[in-house]
Amino acid sequence: MASKDSVKIAPGAMVCNECELRGDITIGSMTVIHPRASIIAEAGPIIIGENNLIEEQSVIINRIPKGEQPTSTPVLIIGANNVFEVDCHSEAMKIGDNNILESKSFVGREVELTNGCIVGAGCKLTCPEVVPENTVIFGQQCTRRQQMDKPPPQTLQLDFLTRVLPNYHHLKKPFVKGKQ
Amino acid sequence: MELQDIFYNKVEYVETASGNKVSRQTVLCGSQNIVLSGKVIVQSDAIIRGDLANVRAGRHCIISKRAVIRPPFKKFSKGVAFFPLHMGDHVFVGENSVVNAAVVGSYVYIGKNCVIGRRCVLKDCCVIEDNTVLPPETVVPSFTRYASSPGVCIGELPECTQDLMLEFTRSYYQHFLPAK
Repeated sequence: MASKDSVKIAPGAMVCNECELRGDITIGSMTVIHPRASIIAEAGPIIIGENNLIEEQSVIINRIPKGEQPTSTPVLIIGANNVFEVDCHSEAMKIGDNNILESKSFVGREVELTNGCIVGAGCKLTCPEVVPENTVIFGQQCTRRQQMDKPPPQTLQLDFLTRVLPNYHHLKKPFVKGKQ
Repeated sequence: MELQDIFYNKVEYVETASGNKVSRQTVLCGSQNIVLSGKVIVQSDAIIRGDLANVRAGRHCIISKRAVIRPPFKKFSKGVAFFPLHMGDHVFVGENSVVNAAVVGSYVYIGKNCVIGRRCVLKDCCVIEDNTVLPPETVVPSFTRYASSPGVCIGELPECTQDLMLEFTRSYYQHFLPAK
């Protein structure tokens, strides 16, 4: 790993050794990152909140926009209780809380996810927009509807994974103040 | 029609006594919980999550590149549980597909870029076409063909499907040869 990479992992987070972390990344407590997930902070830092679940092959990128000279370093911020399912791809600069990105979904850079949104399997969001709260995007035509209540948090699954994953995987050490 | 020979790098693949050919570039988590019954091909960058629950693949299965085989979970009143994933004989899983099914029967063809939702049941002799998204808990009956997102039945299969899949997976195995 390059020397300028600084990955800060809060205590209680489970980050498997086999995942790809590049650049300046901060990971909140109780977040679970499965093997083969990639988080790439190319343009600026990535800050991931608490209780997130990032499954294998999912990609989170803070990408340098094409043909633009950034005036300030863009920061990618992800809130709490989000689920990134297998093989999803997210470049969104701002993601709130309680969102679910299902398998093979794509969220572009100019999209902002608020809270409680579900991006269905295989759906692509590329146009610049702010997705309203509790929106569900599903199906081939990326149909939208508003959900009455927010999706349930995945705390039970996270508890299970934090128990099971250390038995099978090598984990990255959490960041401890004064060390390193 | 005879299949073309597919050559692989001999250094990359491990061949077991029962004839399984497994790439070294795969992620087999919790390998003690994964059973490959013989003559199974697991190609590069495939992921099999044996750490979550048991995974059993029957004879003559083919798991293509970047496919993910992942036991499904279910939420209960207290805690979650991951269910074991059973795959029958002569099953083909295409590239980039994500299989979250509970049961995959025998003689099943899953195309490329498919998402098989949580706890789906695929009965014997069915075809899932490329780019299909099956919602969670879908039951695919025998001799049906499913496509689109969300997956719907688009047709039936002939009675000889079993023989066709037998022939297909056998000849795939025979033509999967080390490069000279």
